[in-house]
Amino acid sequence: MKRYLPIALFVFLMGNFAIAQKVVFEEYDLDNGLHVILHQDNGAPVVTTAVMYHVGSKDENPEKTGFAHFFEHLLFEGTKNIKRGEWDQIVSSNGGSGNANTFLDRTYYYETFPSNSLEVGLWLESERLMHPIIGQVGVDTQKEVVQEERRLRVDNSPYGAFFEVLLKNLYTKHPYRWGVIGSLDHLASATLDDFKEFNKTFYVPNNAVLVVAGDFETEKTKKMISDYFGPIPKGAEIQRNEVKEEPITNTIMDTYHDPNIQIPAILLAYRTPGQAERDAYVINMISTYLSDGESSKLYKKLVDEKKIALQIFSVPIDAEDYSSYVVGGLPVGENSIQDIKDEIDAEILKIQTDLISEKDYQKLQNKFENNFVNANSSIAGIANSLAENYMLRDNTNLINTEIDIYRSITREEIREVAKKYLKVNQRVELEYLPEQKDAN
Amino acid sequence: MKKYIVFTLLSLFVFVSHAQIDRTKQPERGPAPEINLQEPARFELLNGLKVMVVENHKLPRVRMQLTIDNPPILQGNKAGVADLTSSLLGKGSKSIPKDDFYEEVDFLGASISIGDQGASASCLSKYFPRVLELMADASLNPNFTQEEFDKEKDRILTGIKSEEKDVSAIATRVQLALAYGKGHPYGEITSEETVNNVSLADVEQHYRNYFVPANAYLVIIGDVEFDNVQELVTQFFTPWTKAVPPSFNYSKPTDAQYTQINFVDVSNAVQSEVAVQNITELKMKDEDYLDALLVNRILGGGSQARLYKNLREDKGYTYGSYSGIRANKYSPMRFNAYAQVRNAVTDSSVVQILDEINRITNEPVTDEELTNAKAKYAGNFVMALENPETIANYALNIETEDLPKDFYKTYLERIEAVTKDDVQKAAQKYFSTTNARVVVTGKGSEVLENLGKVNFNDKKVPVLYYNKYASKTEEPNYDVALPEGLTAATVLEKYIEVIGGKTKLEGVESYAMLAEAEMQGMTLELEMKKTAKDQFMQDIKVMGNSMQKQVLDGDKGYMMAQGQRKDLSPEEIEKIKEESAAFPELNYLSVGNITVEGIEPVGGKKAYKLKITEKKTVFYDVETGLKLKETNIEEAQGQPMTNTLEYEDYREVSGIMFPFKMVQTVGPQSFDFQVKEIKVNEGVSASDFE
Repeated sequence: MKRYLPIALFVFLMGNFAIAQKVVFEEYDLDNGLHVILHQDNGAPVVTTAVMYHVGSKDENPEKTGFAHFFEHLLFEGTKNIKRGEWDQIVSSNGGSGNANTFLDRTYYYETFPSNSLEVGLWLESERLMHPIIGQVGVDTQKEVVQEERRLRVDNSPYGAFFEVLLKNLYTKHPYRWGVIGSLDHLASATLDDFKEFNKTFYVPNNAVLVVAGDFETEKTKKMISDYFGPIPKGAEIQRNEVKEEPITNTIMDTYHDPNIQIPAILLAYRTPGQAERDAYVINMISTYLSDGESSKLYKKLVDEKKIALQIFSVPIDAEDYSSYVVGGLPVGENSIQDIKDEIDAEILKIQTDLISEKDYQKLQNKFENNFVNANSSIAGIANSLAENYMLRDNTNLINTEIDIYRSITREEIREVAKKYLKVNQRVELEYLPEQKDAN
Repeated sequence: MKKYIVFTLLSLFVFVSHAQIDRTKQPERGPAPEINLQEPARFELLNGLKVMVVENHKLPRVRMQLTIDNPPILQGNKAGVADLTSSLLGKGSKSIPKDDFYEEVDFLGASISIGDQGASASCLSKYFPRVLELMADASLNPNFTQEEFDKEKDRILTGIKSEEKDVSAIATRVQLALAYGKGHPYGEITSEETVNNVSLADVEQHYRNYFVPANAYLVIIGDVEFDNVQELVTQFFTPWTKAVPPSFNYSKPTDAQYTQINFVDVSNAVQSEVAVQNITELKMKDEDYLDALLVNRILGGGSQARLYKNLREDKGYTYGSYSGIRANKYSPMRFNAYAQVRNAVTDSSVVQILDEINRITNEPVTDEELTNAKAKYAGNFVMALENPETIANYALNIETEDLPKDFYKTYLERIEAVTKDDVQKAAQKYFSTTNARVVVTGKGSEVLENLGKVNFNDKKVPVLYYNKYASKTEEPNYDVALPEGLTAATVLEKYIEVIGGKTKLEGVESYAMLAEAEMQGMTLELEMKKTAKDQFMQDIKVMGNSMQKQVLDGDKGYMMAQGQRKDLSPEEIEKIKEESAAFPELNYLSVGNITVEGIEPVGGKKAYKLKITEKKTVFYDVETGLKLKETNIEEAQGQPMTNTLEYEDYREVSGIMFPFKMVQTVGPQSFDFQVKEIKVNEGVSASDFE
């Protein structure tokens, strides 16, 4: 089984859009600090067990990057009671499926089962937290796998390095400045003790949220949770340093040469507020307005009408401390990246100067609502949203109320937020180019 | 606007003691969960439309699905009319033009699709009334126009044409025709001829006959109120005129009298499509329905199943081998076990598939196989329940398939209760090795000899021959004697002679060619330049944009596809070098090692088949000496892919004969290139190869 980092931007677009429905849930803490969220829905005999740990690449030692993602692999290697290689087999012989992913702020593990295997799911996740095997064999195996993953997703992948390059430019002090996969050198030189230390620090119940969503009996489930997770000892409190970045005041220019591409790309990246802040939601709306779908402004103008761009995109990358908003495109034929940049700037200037039309505003609202509703149509999706809203937005109930935020955003606000954050002098301009050929 | 009530219970319970549990082993699974399937509310319109409403307020969305449960329709000499009708539906209505219809659906964030036997739509609940209205209007008042009809007909004809040499398409068509008979709705063949028999009036007739409410069910699921649905559906669907579809008889499918191979010769095939099939009578309401599903899963239901393990993992014959069993209340259906296999192992694959069917029929499956099949089946079944469409389908199945009300509620328990004995009985009842039809579609000249020797259960399996349209035909004859003393050199020399002669060809320093092909209404441009100094450039453009380009200059070169550039590997350079000679035949002559493989028909002409390398074969016309075709075998995702190039319409340019029409076929796709211009010793410069 392969485990993917959510590097593909569109994947976490979905994750951000929690929805506003009648999702009934209940939450409480165990003595050891494990936060528990239960969402009961007996509509289908499906149950998801998921644990989100508040550890991502930003929690790494700058000299030892890549640990958070490495753990996402390592913690499938087995536990005191689950032999190496048995994890996936246990999941599939119970008719289930599962996976894990890592990002800047958190690591997430989950399984979905027919509901009569709920206890198996709780057992698996409690084993992972209680006593994973962190041994040389597993570490060596996963080092190989992670190297392969980096080659596949970054080094050999067309446009695969852009997120890393942008982060490096957008952040100078904040630990967002290195990417999620981190440094292969750091991983290669890391010792078993380094990994054990990381586990001891971050993989503790007081740094995790357990979500059980779907078809179950509440009292019985609470008892099982207490039985499986209760005996896990509480860890030391985690010290987190708040790192503040100075505002960007002069455009940061950079170029990057990617050997895997032929068509250059222009990427304009802005540092925007953390995902819990209202302005981050406004940025999401602007992004959709600009580039979501064939009738969006940039697509219609640059790809459809003027045929300047082969592809156009704009992606808000949400994170806890700061978000990043990226707009860009690939030129077609003789057109240059400057042409694309000019057109994007013209369109952003329009948002900063004029109100978007009533009709576009309504269409935007319709799109958002539709996306929300469908994004959380599965039990697994709801579990993810609950965990993320609790852990990164500090408000589990956003799953029901987030849509109200979007509904309350006005056309005037869209204009103001565009003015405030999307300034030319506050951004990174990355020319992402094909590797140059030698003269001969 | 609705108000959402939110419960957030912050529990104050604190658990202080933990029960002792045994964590050293996997917890026992609980009893199979009961399926909490909602019972739909129902009503019926006077015109016969039956409506089911499943209220589910969890998400503010609605899905609607109109199903017309007609018996299968025999289209006869107008086969294709159903497809055409479907593609003309959902494009607005008599009162809403197509563009306005699309725009409104987009604005609402909704989706609507309509076919000749039903319709479906989804949207936010607040737009439900309008979307239902749009769906009803477009379904009941379609605006069939000649313009759209012509466009769609062209599209279908292009599709048929592009499948002419597609081995999979031919195989599927013949398998179905042989299983059901060409006079059965599931076996009849849609061809260029039958599509051309269809007129706009036929489409209107088909729509009038079959888009009727007699067997129609409308299922509405989601955030709706029953009363409101009843009111809206009554309003929008009452105008639907009451009618019953015409009924007709068709032949009943039967099994072969004895197990036999039915061979279809497709000369361009590099893989054989093997399907072992027989007819089953299985209905969902049958007692042993689940037994049949489970035995099929163990035999060929996925990567854990026997066919896959044997043919792929153990033998490496194929990328995958599977089987399928189907239930249908109207007609007996086909069971099939199938694989796409390499030519050389075609006969062995037939034997392995038959053996596996034989084994599962004669021996009980293992406990582990049954347990895993049940777990996987139960898991998939349960996961699917999350999807509202699944729930809609279940409610509909109970109604249309005449199932007990608790059919799905007890589904998991019944799966759990299936025994090894049940499974074996189902195999014996539904799989046949004594009356099986083994349909093999492949390259006769390479596979027939061994196929003729296939023995199964100590009996020789006879081979019968069919053409690409499933009609009986003669055994193909590949033994055309080569003329005495003919060698590869003779053939190559003749070719060189007829296109202009050695001196003339050697005088060619460079040449440039520009050709065009049509692809889905777009123009594809092919530009190719070659020189005698290992320089080669080929650029394929769509609407003026380069899609794929290969450049070679001496020992270095690169390839660009859809914006990504990649340097050529030494092997690729070597390969292009072979091609990049202006006239590769001049090299073939000096390299030697080329053999004449025989005489084969190419487009109605006889041709000498020359094997140039393991992967390259070229055909030269026996009569004229001209090159007619070449095939190259390439690897794509671990699978061999044949790339075929046919040459026609030779014309003279600067004293040399060049083909002005080239047909390139890769997999199911085929391009007809018309040459626009050829220049010899002009129009090429060094900068073309940078």
